[in-house]
Amino acid sequence: MTDGRPGGPPEGSKVDAAPEAGSHGQVGRLTGREGRRPHGRLYAAVRWGGVLVFVAIVVALVVSLLWQAAPAFRHSGFSFIFSGTWNPDAGQFGAGVFIVDTLITTGVGLLIAIPVGIATAAALSEFLPRRIGGPLSTCIDLIAAVPSIIVGLWGLLVLIPIFQRDVEPFLQKIPLLKHLFGGGDLGSGILLASVVLAVMMLPTMVALTRTALQGVSVADREAAMALGGTRWQVVRRAVIPGARSGIEAAITLSMGRALGEAIAVSLVIGGGVTFPHSLLANGTTLGSAIVSYFDEATGVQRSAVIGLAVVLLAFTTVTNIGGQILVRRRGGGYQGALSDPGVGLADTEVVPA
Amino acid sequence: MTTGTDLAARDTEDVLSPEAVARRRRVVRRASRSTLRRRRLVGNATRIVCYLALLVALVPLVALVSYTIERGVSGLSEAFFTQLPVPEGVPGGGVKEAIIGTLIIVGLAAVVAIPLGLAVSLFLIDRRGKLAASIRFVADVMSGVPSIAIGIFAYALIVVPSQHYSGISGSFALAVLMLPIIVRADEVAMRTVPEDLWDAALALGAPPSRVARSVVVRTALPGLVTGNLLAVARAAGETAPLLFTALGSVLFTTNPFQPMDAMPLRIKLDGTQADPHLQTVAWATALVLLASILVLSIVARLFASYATRHAR
Repeated sequence: MTDGRPGGPPEGSKVDAAPEAGSHGQVGRLTGREGRRPHGRLYAAVRWGGVLVFVAIVVALVVSLLWQAAPAFRHSGFSFIFSGTWNPDAGQFGAGVFIVDTLITTGVGLLIAIPVGIATAAALSEFLPRRIGGPLSTCIDLIAAVPSIIVGLWGLLVLIPIFQRDVEPFLQKIPLLKHLFGGGDLGSGILLASVVLAVMMLPTMVALTRTALQGVSVADREAAMALGGTRWQVVRRAVIPGARSGIEAAITLSMGRALGEAIAVSLVIGGGVTFPHSLLANGTTLGSAIVSYFDEATGVQRSAVIGLAVVLLAFTTVTNIGGQILVRRRGGGYQGALSDPGVGLADTEVVPA
Repeated sequence: MTTGTDLAARDTEDVLSPEAVARRRRVVRRASRSTLRRRRLVGNATRIVCYLALLVALVPLVALVSYTIERGVSGLSEAFFTQLPVPEGVPGGGVKEAIIGTLIIVGLAAVVAIPLGLAVSLFLIDRRGKLAASIRFVADVMSGVPSIAIGIFAYALIVVPSQHYSGISGSFALAVLMLPIIVRADEVAMRTVPEDLWDAALALGAPPSRVARSVVVRTALPGLVTGNLLAVARAAGETAPLLFTALGSVLFTTNPFQPMDAMPLRIKLDGTQADPHLQTVAWATALVLLASILVLSIVARLFASYATRHAR
């Protein structure tokens, strides 16, 4: 633990703070003899009590959702996931359409948000002068706090008319691609839901990517410059590879958010229950299905809606665990990226750079 | 590679003759000039592409915020803050019950989640074992759980047994949503406390609880405030956890055991109506909600910059 103790002023402990390693030299310095004295016992009780409550909440979350969903899983078996027929009146509960629509909206949303987000972050942190890039970055960070219901409302009342009048007729005129955009001029639909998700993902994506880019060491940049690289070559060959794990974490985090988004999507996706034949078709994602069907559902049907939440939980948990592994895997000789997974993945910038 | 060997071959003849030097210089200069030109071209093109992407990103974000402000301002009035909702087609009315409801629901959630989160992060702060690592991991994964799933959890755990929609079940959902965020943010904030301070306090004979309270928490306070405020701001804008718990209501109530309205619920309800007056009410509510969240975020940032200034 030689590196645990900051060499000089306290800033060292801030920069190097890696939670899994811990910047504090000795383990358990607050635990020493806490049990022996009355106030120490109280303190131990508070800390252990907090942890127990937290663990209990997590366990209860998983168990109660599974418990409530169990009747529907027993009722439908594997067809709950693989069947595309959701017909409560006939007692058929297949989440296939919802799963496909969730994956399509998230995928198309990411297709928009990833290139735009990374290029925007590069413009803000690498190309624009700090005088302009700094305030713009702060604005984008603040916009990340806009509630999803407001984005959804904007999509519903502003974007749907625009899509209906201008965007969809335009897309249907593009040769070759127009087969993707067959059918309705409804405005609402899978494409609009993807765009709304992209708008929601962008600020977080930009903020996290920017943090990752700024985390690449000056030495790496100077090495690339010394080899005669232009500004872009430095970014392309040194900065982006150095920030790779941070950028991947930003993408997985945004992906988890997009998969789980319910309210905004339910307002703009239209609510079709068949497999989509085009990107303009109406659809239903797992989240929007829960929002739309929960209220009128009773009995097995309600259990099936909760089953949708279980499927959704499984999707986002896998995504998030993947993101965690990406952040923690810091191989490849490059350091940097998100200097602290807690800051990045908790979506709270506690110590801004 | 070939020019290299060519040059090497010529080296054996007369390396230093003026023509040979000039010839080599020409080769190198031509090569470097053409690649530099190409590289500059590519660099400038990508730079323009990045600026365009910035524009593409900014346009919808700015449009979203400015449209909310534009539509929202027209719906603001004194009645908006002091009256209750009116039926469709009737002019006037306000969203007093939703504003108070949000304050109560979010406030109760914060009162539970903030101390609990602090307790968990105090547990994590000086531990490095498997238990602490797995709790950190769980907290990180938990902060990505969809808010709608948390809403259903609160429904199953509180609404079903009590057979009653209630504000308090909404608070519970928001507290569950905030908790992992607060745990990780608190831990990160407390890690900025220099070790020397811990050592000094312990060397003075202070018991661990005293060190935690008077040294660690106090020193990290600005950072703690930042993380907690951001978590509260995040929770205040959530709709999905409240849909099946607080439910929404047009009645004014301060009793958290009754169904309660909240601003996000009011926006969803009024915004999806065809009546233009109700839509205006929805936008005005959206503006008030957005402004409160932005104020919380900005205050949080001020604390954060205070924290970094004083950490040095």
